[in-house]
Formats: sequence, C-alpha cells, structure tokens
Amino acid sequence: MSKSIYLDYAATTPMRPQVREAMAPYLGAEFGNPSSIHSHGRAAHVAVETARRRVLEALSASTGRLIFTGSGSEADNLAILGFARRHPDGCVVRSSIEHKAVTEATRALGAGGYDVRVAPVDSRGVLDAEALPGLLPGDDRPTLVSVMWANNETGVIQPVGKVAALCRQHRAVFHSDAIQVLGKLPFQLDEVQIGLLSLSAHKLGGPKGVGALLVRGDIELEPLIYGGGQEGGLRAGTENVAGIVGFAEAATIAAAELDEEAAAWRSLRDRLQAGLCAALPEIAVNGGDAPERLPNVLNISVPDVDIEGLLTSLDLEGICVSSGSACTTGSVEPSHVIKAMGREGDLARNTIRLSIGWGTKAADIEYVLEKFPRLVQRVREFRAPS
Amino acid sequence: MRVLVAMSGGVDSSLAAALLSARGFDVVGATVKTLCYGESPGTSKTCCGLEGIVDARAVAQQLGIPHYVFDLEEEFARDVIDDFVAEYAQGRTPNPCVRCNSYTKFRDLLRRARMLGCDRIATGHYAQIERSDGRTRLRRAADRSKDQTYFLWAIDREVLDRLELPLGKLTKQQVRKRARELGLETADKPESFDICFVPGGDYAGFLATRLNQEHAAFQPGPILTLDSRRVGSHEGYCRYTVGQRKRLPGGFPEPIYVVKIQPETRTVVIGPASALESRLVSVGELNWLGEPPDVGVEVSLQIRHRAPEVAGRITALTAERVAIHLSQAQRAVTPGQSAAIYEDDVLLGGGRIVGGSSCP
Repeated sequence: MSKSIYLDYAATTPMRPQVREAMAPYLGAEFGNPSSIHSHGRAAHVAVETARRRVLEALSASTGRLIFTGSGSEADNLAILGFARRHPDGCVVRSSIEHKAVTEATRALGAGGYDVRVAPVDSRGVLDAEALPGLLPGDDRPTLVSVMWANNETGVIQPVGKVAALCRQHRAVFHSDAIQVLGKLPFQLDEVQIGLLSLSAHKLGGPKGVGALLVRGDIELEPLIYGGGQEGGLRAGTENVAGIVGFAEAATIAAAELDEEAAAWRSLRDRLQAGLCAALPEIAVNGGDAPERLPNVLNISVPDVDIEGLLTSLDLEGICVSSGSACTTGSVEPSHVIKAMGREGDLARNTIRLSIGWGTKAADIEYVLEKFPRLVQRVREFRAPS
Repeated sequence: MRVLVAMSGGVDSSLAAALLSARGFDVVGATVKTLCYGESPGTSKTCCGLEGIVDARAVAQQLGIPHYVFDLEEEFARDVIDDFVAEYAQGRTPNPCVRCNSYTKFRDLLRRARMLGCDRIATGHYAQIERSDGRTRLRRAADRSKDQTYFLWAIDREVLDRLELPLGKLTKQQVRKRARELGLETADKPESFDICFVPGGDYAGFLATRLNQEHAAFQPGPILTLDSRRVGSHEGYCRYTVGQRKRLPGGFPEPIYVVKIQPETRTVVIGPASALESRLVSVGELNWLGEPPDVGVEVSLQIRHRAPEVAGRITALTAERVAIHLSQAQRAVTPGQSAAIYEDDVLLGGGRIVGGSSCP
C-alpha cells in the first residue's frame, strides 16, 4: 500500500520527531525508577517532575496537581469513579455526548445504584447549559458534573465557561474531558473554574500509553490503583518515564505552535468542508451550525450510502478516516453522539470524521476532494437492493 | 486488476490470496463475519470466528495486502440460517454451506467487491474455473478428494464470470507445502468440517434456540413402518434425517433406517435398506451455470458431499424441476439435500432434492 493520506488525528497522531528524540534517553541509558534513591532514580525523578511542570505550563495552569495516568480513558475513570468512591452518597451529572470512557464509567456506577443523570445536547451538538441546574440534586450532596471541553466526534466546543460558573454557584465539582482540546485551542485554565481535567498525550503528537488528570483545589478522589504511593497516592505504579517526558515535549510544542497550526488547520478544514459540500450537496455537516468547533475536525453524514463500503473504499485509496464508532470487526454502530443530536437512520449511521493535524498538507485535502465524490458514487452504484 | 479474496483465516484462502498476489493482482483480503462470531462463546471455530479474523489479518499483513471484515451477519441470518431452520422444520435436511456460498460468500461478497472497485472475487475453494469461447465453466478440482464443486451449484452466472479459484489445480498437500514455503502462519492450521453456526453439530439444540418450543418439529410423534404399523414414538422429527439409524426402536430382523419424514403428521417412517433405494431423483429450485441441458442428456449426479457420482439421464426438465433416471440405485436420497449435476467433470448446475423413488 503506497499512498497514505492520514486524516484521523482525532483518533491518534504520528509522534512528532522532537518527541521521539526527547524520549530516547529514557528508553536507553536513563532507565531509572523515579522512586529509587540512587543516581538513576534521581535522574528519572527529575525528568518526571520537570515534565509535570511543563505540562502545567502548556495548560497555563498556575495551580493544581497533575496526576499522570496510563491513558486519557484512565484519567476520565479516575475522575468519575475516584469521585464516586470518595462520595458514595453523591451524584454524577454528565452530558449525553461524552466519550465512552465517561459514559461507560457512569453506566457502571449507575448499575451499582449510584445517582447518575444525563444532560442533553441540542441539534447542533451543544450542551443545553440552561437545563443543567434542573438536573443538579438541589441538596448538599457532593456532585460531579462531567462535560467535555470539545466533542471527539464532531469537534463541537461545549460551553465550559457557563458550566464552570454554574458548578461554582451550586458547589458542584466540574470535570472536563479536554483530550481533543489540548494543542487545538488556547488554554487559559486559570480563567475557567475547572476542578478536574482529563488529558492524553497521543492526540497531540505524543506517545500512546500516557494521560493525565489535573486535580485542582481541595478535590478529593479515591485512587483506582493502589500501591507504592506514586502520583501523590492517586495512581500507584512505576511511572512511564519515557512516555511522561514525551507527553511534556508534545504539550510544549503544541502550545508554542498553537496559533499558527490552528489557523492552518482551520483553513484546511474549511476547504475540505466547502469542497465536499459542493460536490455532494446532500451531505450534512454534524455540528456545522454550532457556534464553535475545533479547527481540525469535520464530521459529515453521507445519506444513501453503505458506510462500511465507503470507509473501505477510502482506505483502498489510501485515505484514512474514521466512522462514528467502527470497530475492528467491521460493524459500524450508529454513534451515540450523532443520535443525541437528534439525527436518525442513515444520517446517524453514515457518519465520517475527518480530522487534521501537524502532518496534513494542502495537497492531501485536494486528493480527498478528488477521490471522495467518485467513491461515494461507486459505492451507491453497488448498494444492496432494498 | 483488483480482486477481492474471501479469507477465512484457513490455509486454503491464505494461499489463494498469496498466489493471486504473486500473479500481479491488486489483492484485497476480506473476512466475512457471519453469525458464529460472538455467538458461540468458548469455541475457536476455524471458519469464521474471531480466530479466523485474526489469522486472516495476520496473513494479509504478511502479504502486504489490505484486509477488511465484512459484517454480513444480517444477510447470513436471512439467507442461510432462516432457511436452515425452515428446512429442518419441514422435515428436510438442508446444506447451509451451499446457501452460504451462493448468497453470502459470493453474491453479497461480489456486491461488496464491486463497491470497492474490485472486478473479480476469489476464494480458496477446490474447483477449477475454465474460460474459453466467451464462456466460463466450473470443473471439478484436480484433486478429486478435495473437490468442492458440490457446494457451488447455486452460484449466480454473474459471480461465475467474475470468479477466480487459484487452488483448482493443486492438491491439499501441495497447498500446505506452498503455504509453508511462503511462511504463511496458517500453513498447518487444522481444517473445520462442522457447520460454522452449529457448534459441535448439535442441530436439535440449535433449532431449539431458533424455533418456538411448541413447534411440531419438537413434538413427540409416531414411528411407523412402511405398512403403517406403529412401532414406537420419537421426541421430535427434527432429530431425524433420511437414512439415519440412530434413535430408532430395536427388535427388527434386519437393520432399519429412516425412510421418510412426514411433518404434517409428525411421522417418522422406517424401513429396511432396500426401501431407501432410489432410481429416479427429482430435483427442484434449479440453478444452471450455463445453458440448461436437454432432456435425454447423459449426466452424472452427486447427492451428498463426498459421495461418489452416479451416472444418469435427464428424463424430464421444466424451469422448476428436473428428473434424473439413475443407472444404478442410490441409497438415502434425502429431501432438502443438494443434487449437483455434472457432464463429465463440468458442473452444469443443480438443485435441491425433492425426493427419490424406486421405480421410474
């Protein structure tokens, strides 16, 4: 397979070369365990603590504890389950478009009898912040509100400022999954009253297998993994030193390049959207009418098409994109995010997400614009007789 | 030319993909996901289970070709399983593999293939494609002991025109040897003979999950001799097939067999081996891979997988039925089973057996 146009940066990204370089010593000579007192241990310890500081700087967060985890999903789980286990009589309110890491963690809580509530979104994929106060328990029970900063499928940015203010007013803890946001939007975390923030390294040119949860103020969580007391007792296990160093490097680069990169991505994305909509006027842009979207994500619904056939055809032309919730065994389930926006049938099922990143070039977009409409036409020609 | 190879994860389809790739085809691998995946916990079916997908993908990676999983569960359930259940419910004995080949594995796969810009499809079946004078013929495999044309009588002509069967001239030993030489990791994988969606071959157990327990096929009924003498009862006729000896009452001077199943009265009729013999076979639901043969033509008939073929002559032919007069009597001509009709080693077509009779 020769040509490869990678437009799936929201799934994962290629590592930036500088990140690989920054990690290299910790995959070689600097192999120490940060908990050891000897020279190798000290070197590793310094590396982890330096990385922690650099990620906080990239977030423009002057306060808060950064807890490194094994993934973004683990960070979400630590926030939700860690809160619920600390407050067995509490309540968790989440939006209807959260990542599976949040929806499944709350499902597990709900199955155990925990009070879980779900806040709806409108047809644009934006949380209805006005509905939120009505969902809060209204008594003194400890409450966690989990609303992602930007949706991973549509890129629609959520009204986190409003949610933060409401949470403050109702003395609820605000957790936000910002995994898609780091490196795509300027963070001024000191201006938003967020209690818990989930992050992941591999969405911004960093390595897989490392995430983080930012814990601010006096929020108390129960750890999910018990052991040697690493990460302030919230996440036991010997640190993934190389991964953590890579995370910091990626976050630093992303923050430094952000203005330039985000503008470039926005222009590529807009070109892609305009070109596809011109060639195929019947497609719908999911979240296209929302006030704000991530600059690098385009989510479309293609009516009257066999979506598995289209995804496969795109891949055969070297175009790597993803569908709502395709799994490796080939079946495509309608996305819960698109369904939550009120889309049904074909439009809920036939979604494709194209996402742009640091390696995307203008020629890639032109290639997709040339191929995509033809492939849609071919797939339609051979669809099953109904 | 782009060709889609149906890869089950077994050695045959792995080598088929490898051979076509070596011949310069732009090969795309696909594993068809049918019901068995995910619904039979604890089994490691070699035909289409999770293991099959993993193995097929590993081989594709090794060959440097793309590989996809086609979810055809819905189509498979409709065209293969529903038919399987309906046939057993009617007291007949279906060949689900024939249905799967003609519908899921070929017709649906070809449609998918065309979507992906593939002009051809290929499988690891042991059968030979021969193209000459603008016609495509399907011949028995060079390795007669592995020949699978019996399962291919129901495929569409459009499929036949676009089909590649790269293993047709090879023996199983040669296939394994070539696969080993190429270092394919499926080279020594054991074969599977079970029907993929019936783990352990427990038909009655499977039917019980698909049919209402009140269905006649599960209800007790009489076992009668040919002269209508009641000699016992059974626990549901779906547990019987023509020619079967198991689950029958004893005490007869000669071995007895199921001769007939009459679903309307839930009756299982038994008789001696001689009562199973047929000289005339009636076949319905016909499919011809070329022009239909003429009445009077000498053909050979195969009425069971791995059964030897028998010479016969077509004595009547309509669009719906063909009657074949056999040169020698056949045992247990089983309604519902496939009858593949050949002229020499060319598969002309076939149908489902309606019934057999002793005196033409």
